[in-house]
Amino acid sequence: MLNVCPLSELPPGEALRVPCSPPIAVFRTEEGEVLAIDDTCTHQDASLADGWLEGCQVECPLHASRFDLRTGAVDAPPAKRPVRTHRVEVVDGMIQVELSLDTPNLPPGLAAGSGANA
Amino acid sequence: MTATIEPGAHPAALTAQGSLLRTLPGRAYVDPAFFAAEQDGIFDQMWICAVRSDDLSGPGRFKTVQISRESILLTRNRKGEVRGYFNVCRHRGARLCLEESGEVKRAFQCPYHAWTYDLDGKLIAAPNLTSMPDIDRVEYGLHHVAVREWLGYVWVCLAPQPPSFEATVQQDVIDRLGDLASIDAYDIEHLQPGRRIHYDVQANWKLIIENFMECYHCATIHPELTEVLPEFANGYAAQYFVGHGAEFGEEIEGFTVDGSAGLGKIPGIQEEQDRRYYAMTVRPQVFINLVPDHVIFHRLFPMAEDRTIVECDWLYLPDVVASGKDVSSSVELFDRVNRQDFDACERCQPSMSSSQYAEGGVLVPTEHHIRIFHDWVLDRVGDLG
Repeated sequence: MLNVCPLSELPPGEALRVPCSPPIAVFRTEEGEVLAIDDTCTHQDASLADGWLEGCQVECPLHASRFDLRTGAVDAPPAKRPVRTHRVEVVDGMIQVELSLDTPNLPPGLAAGSGANA
Repeated sequence: MTATIEPGAHPAALTAQGSLLRTLPGRAYVDPAFFAAEQDGIFDQMWICAVRSDDLSGPGRFKTVQISRESILLTRNRKGEVRGYFNVCRHRGARLCLEESGEVKRAFQCPYHAWTYDLDGKLIAAPNLTSMPDIDRVEYGLHHVAVREWLGYVWVCLAPQPPSFEATVQQDVIDRLGDLASIDAYDIEHLQPGRRIHYDVQANWKLIIENFMECYHCATIHPELTEVLPEFANGYAAQYFVGHGAEFGEEIEGFTVDGSAGLGKIPGIQEEQDRRYYAMTVRPQVFINLVPDHVIFHRLFPMAEDRTIVECDWLYLPDVVASGKDVSSSVELFDRVNRQDFDACERCQPSMSSSQYAEGGVLVPTEHHIRIFHDWVLDRVGDLG
């Protein structure tokens, strides 16, 4: 499990980018649910943590494809492939993420284990 | 274009003592270099009245306006505060917003490489941005311009160190009316545009200002206005005396094209402001006209040495606009005045480059106060002109 941050440091409606490889984005919805997906849009290298959170969806800030935070599914092009989702637990007030073992759907030019991991 | 203009030169020195004073030389109205110097010394430096505050009705509503040589993007942030930016993408310089007005949901995005800025101008997203962590998102946000709201308008200043708004814009109003309370009485901020007319005038901006400052022409080209304000026939401009408003004629019921009754009086105005017309110039590009039931507000946008766009708003009490009352007879009066004035300015513009106007023309005594404006222009332009 990856310790992300205390729950108290992630207010509802906010997102946090975790610079692991590949990076992930952890969201706390307005309703209080904490969810994690891959941070990088599957269309082009953009940070979904910088996107627009609405309900249980995040809209990519660059080209407006929306990803479902629970399933990773994308609603409409230009992104075509889903992002991975990661299981989240809050233990003793600490957000913890269990990283998915699936192969990530990174955009062209960003191979798994390289790229947007600054 | 052989005439030279000595900075700060007193035009009196250029003419014989007597009734007449010199105007600016012809080249001040036609020379692109002189116009460029005015952009540098005046329009890039001073507070410019850009848009009506209501044109930016909420977060993400935007207008783009050309001020001097720049396209300026005006919007409101999430808190509803007005923000102004140079409409230039910080990446490769593409014009960010091409539309004259519109609404964005959350951000302005450059259509070239998708650099994306929030309503406070901060760079919030760009392709590969997270792999360039050395890019400071505020430093590479949109360049701000200073903004200020007054009289229900958004005023902007392109200069990095704007002059005092009080000592410039508001002082021009005080110099004309005697105090700010006199204009506050009209509650212009809460009036609403009942009509807006856009005039594309093929004349130098100074001709329009000079024309507005004098009334020597009124009896000749403004028959309707002179009917409503008989004292205009004597040629003295309403702008000449501090605190003086031109009185309506005895038979006149309202500030309308035929003198018929106007609309409900603005509640805050004083008794001495009733049945009077006050006009003022706020340098460098605003005219404000006050009458008991409405306000006529001109914004001038000089586009070139021989072209000026004028946006004119007729502002009424909110219930007049909401109830759809007929405002056409008051609009028609000043629309006619505007067209008569702008026709006169367009008649002058081609002659400004005549060999016979190289040294300019003359001002009669009822126009002598225009020289204050000329001296001011020369002072602002300095030796650049």
